Amino acid sequence: MSSLTERLAAIVGPGYVSDKLADRICYTRDAGPSVGEVPGVVVRPQTTEHVSQIIRLANEVKMPIFVWGRATTFIGHGIRKGCILMALDLMNAIEKIDLVNQAVTVQTGAIWHAVDAELGKQGWELVVPGPGGLFVCSVGGTVAYNAVPHGLAEYGMTGDGVITLEVVLPDGSIVSTGSSANEVGGVAMERYANGPDLAGLFIGSCGVYGVITKVTYRIRLKPDAERFAFYSFGSAEQAANTAMALQRKHVATHLVGLYGGPKPTGVTGEAFLHIIIRDSTVNADARLAEAHTICSALGGIRLNEEATRLYWVGHMYSWLRNTPPDTYYGDRPYSCPEATAFLPSDKVKETIDFLRNYEVEHAEEFARHGIRIKCYDIYYSRNAAFIWIDTLYPELDSEAWKYGLKMRADYSEWLYSRFGSPGGIMAPLAQHIMPKLGAGFDLMKALKRQLDPNGILNPGVLMLGDEPDNGNGHNGSGNHE
Amino acid sequence: MSESGRAIDALKNIVYQCNRCAHCFDLSWLGDGYNKCPALRYGIFDSYSARGRFFIARAVVDGQIEYDADIAERIFACTECRACAEHCFKYITTTDIYEALKIDLAEQGLMPAALAAGLSDEGGLGEHHNVYQGSPEERLAWLPDMSRVDKPAETVFFVGCTSAYARQNMALDTYTLLDQAGVDFTVLSDEWCCGHPYLSAGQPDKAVAFMEHTLALVEKMGARRMVFNCPGCQRAFRDDYQKHTGKPGPVEALHVVELLAAYVKEGRIGMERYRPKVTVTYHDPCVLGRWMGIYDAPRDLLKAIPGVQLAEMARNRRDAYCCGAGGMIRYDFSDMANLAGADRIAEAEATGAEILVSACPACVMQLQQSRQKTRSKIKVMDLTELVASQMRPLRTID
Repeated sequence: MSSLTERLAAIVGPGYVSDKLADRICYTRDAGPSVGEVPGVVVRPQTTEHVSQIIRLANEVKMPIFVWGRATTFIGHGIRKGCILMALDLMNAIEKIDLVNQAVTVQTGAIWHAVDAELGKQGWELVVPGPGGLFVCSVGGTVAYNAVPHGLAEYGMTGDGVITLEVVLPDGSIVSTGSSANEVGGVAMERYANGPDLAGLFIGSCGVYGVITKVTYRIRLKPDAERFAFYSFGSAEQAANTAMALQRKHVATHLVGLYGGPKPTGVTGEAFLHIIIRDSTVNADARLAEAHTICSALGGIRLNEEATRLYWVGHMYSWLRNTPPDTYYGDRPYSCPEATAFLPSDKVKETIDFLRNYEVEHAEEFARHGIRIKCYDIYYSRNAAFIWIDTLYPELDSEAWKYGLKMRADYSEWLYSRFGSPGGIMAPLAQHIMPKLGAGFDLMKALKRQLDPNGILNPGVLMLGDEPDNGNGHNGSGNHE
Repeated sequence: MSESGRAIDALKNIVYQCNRCAHCFDLSWLGDGYNKCPALRYGIFDSYSARGRFFIARAVVDGQIEYDADIAERIFACTECRACAEHCFKYITTTDIYEALKIDLAEQGLMPAALAAGLSDEGGLGEHHNVYQGSPEERLAWLPDMSRVDKPAETVFFVGCTSAYARQNMALDTYTLLDQAGVDFTVLSDEWCCGHPYLSAGQPDKAVAFMEHTLALVEKMGARRMVFNCPGCQRAFRDDYQKHTGKPGPVEALHVVELLAAYVKEGRIGMERYRPKVTVTYHDPCVLGRWMGIYDAPRDLLKAIPGVQLAEMARNRRDAYCCGAGGMIRYDFSDMANLAGADRIAEAEATGAEILVSACPACVMQLQQSRQKTRSKIKVMDLTELVASQMRPLRTID
């Protein structure tokens, strides 16, 4: 046991630190294709004070810390060899359900759906239903990444539901934001309560400015009714125009457009819209009637909405295409170099055209590497569109893996050089977007230098003061290189 | 087996299917604190979870890590409850990977010490043919008489080691139930362990040898069916024999609750009212449930008893939490078994039930021990015991 390990053990207890390779190797990468390196030690704090002490120690020994929630993202952490890996999943308590202030306070490692399920027992729910990716994520990690959630069209982004945060800064000090910041009686009830929105600094910053240790999030009574609709369209343009019409009328709670990848089984059409509406029974019925009117008027053909319902209740994307989950997620050793972007709703057609042209122009490479298109799906927000470009490559083939990462880079560059912004950013995407942010990027770097002069917290993840680190293939894990 | 001689290398394409989604960690959609994996609850590091084991397996096949005692602990500290496979986002049969890793580890002499001793050919299972190191004479000591022993019959009641040596009341209850139901059955005088422990230890060849010993005796009796009260024994003959030999199991293999539930449905047997009324909860044995898909038969039997009300635990059927008895972990990881058992007892108590019923001698034994350790007031019994006290034949069986 190294002296660093012993000192970490003195903070969190000996059973909560490991420098065994069998343990460390399990903390190298998330659900995506980007390969990280093997950390030198894994530490499991159980309290905010533990987190603070670990960060102070890391500063003392100048050892970077990478923060680990549930690692359910698809982008990649860029974890570096020999670092301290701080896994926060033991800090998972639901501390307070506050029905008066319509808020729930949880420790950072609480699981999103576990919190929602507990609230559900009292007829309440989190105001954002959970990320559009994998739903077994931690609350703190999801907020730190600011994941694009289900219900985007009505409920907004993950960060929109945050009331206050507790954060450990890179020097080990502990701060609270919003109305919780008042040390003589602050109540976690309002985010914009005490001057600047400090919570906003940490939402979406992937832990480079501080480690989120506690989240107070908005809750609401569950709506009485859920309604569903499913439409096909003869062209992508028709579907895109219909989606914009639905956005203008604020009809949908969640609006998903399918523009590429396998078509839904058993139906015809070029593009498809799934519409989910949640409201009081009267309002939901009225909104559904309006959705039907708009879709029909703009050339949509109504399909059986059961697939929409199954997708919504199970969070299983296969149902978007009328297929049971095992036909979609089953026997395939694939991985997904996901590229994502917010784009203006009127640029959906242009983007889909680019993606289809890319398929044609690279048909030979696609065939050689066994590339498949999983989807070009869009979650519509209130006013914009968020595209998931999910391609699949065979995970066993290292050449296909490299090609998959090249595709992600190509897609990202095309999108971010025009009208796209990625939403959540982590190491592999940072190189494609951060240099394009101009003075904003300079400000982010200045903040990083000021808050984290030793570059301790998640260095390289957003390229804020370190060498670019795209997380695309260090040699440490040996999986592909 | 691959060219490398390692079992895991032959499964590389499955190892690579894991996309590290963490669906194997818990049942968060049920609410807060609902664990799925007893090993992760015990070990707390991801390496004890299914995702972690796949990380390890991938590192092994990629040549990044060599098998060692640390890996052995993380692979063998598994109750084989199969909850990870049940909820795998990629529908991976995770247990196939664990099995291959265990085969490799056993081959390299890395089996945990107590398990290795318990299964050894000298003083262990290999010598005594049962996991309790009991004598052959003791195996049938619970029998009321020898009239059915080695008597050619349609059905063999395979007693199993735990019933025979540690929970003889279960052996007797099952015997009585079959007798009262009019089943033409026999009991084998030279019954050996089913072989299941060898599968948990990464020694499938030895398991098959034990199964073949039994199957030769079954054939000699002219039987076409085996009946079990132990799901592990049943699985050995229903599924594992075919998996490891490529040959179909030569006889039908039924759990006694399947047989009795069918008889209830057919009107062959009935149940007397349980007095006074009682609320019971049912613990799905992992092997009976997730491994073999038998969820309804035990519940149908419980519902057939007037006066018995079933109150389900939050984690039930495919979500049922393991009691801690599986995978032979009690040999080397008894703390893990006790932790799981205590969790399950607490969950049973939360239903308000007076009796916790299961359908597996290993589960019942574990839960009874956990009940004692936690000083719980809930009664733990096997379903055969409950049914034996209430069943009455309605008509003669042909």
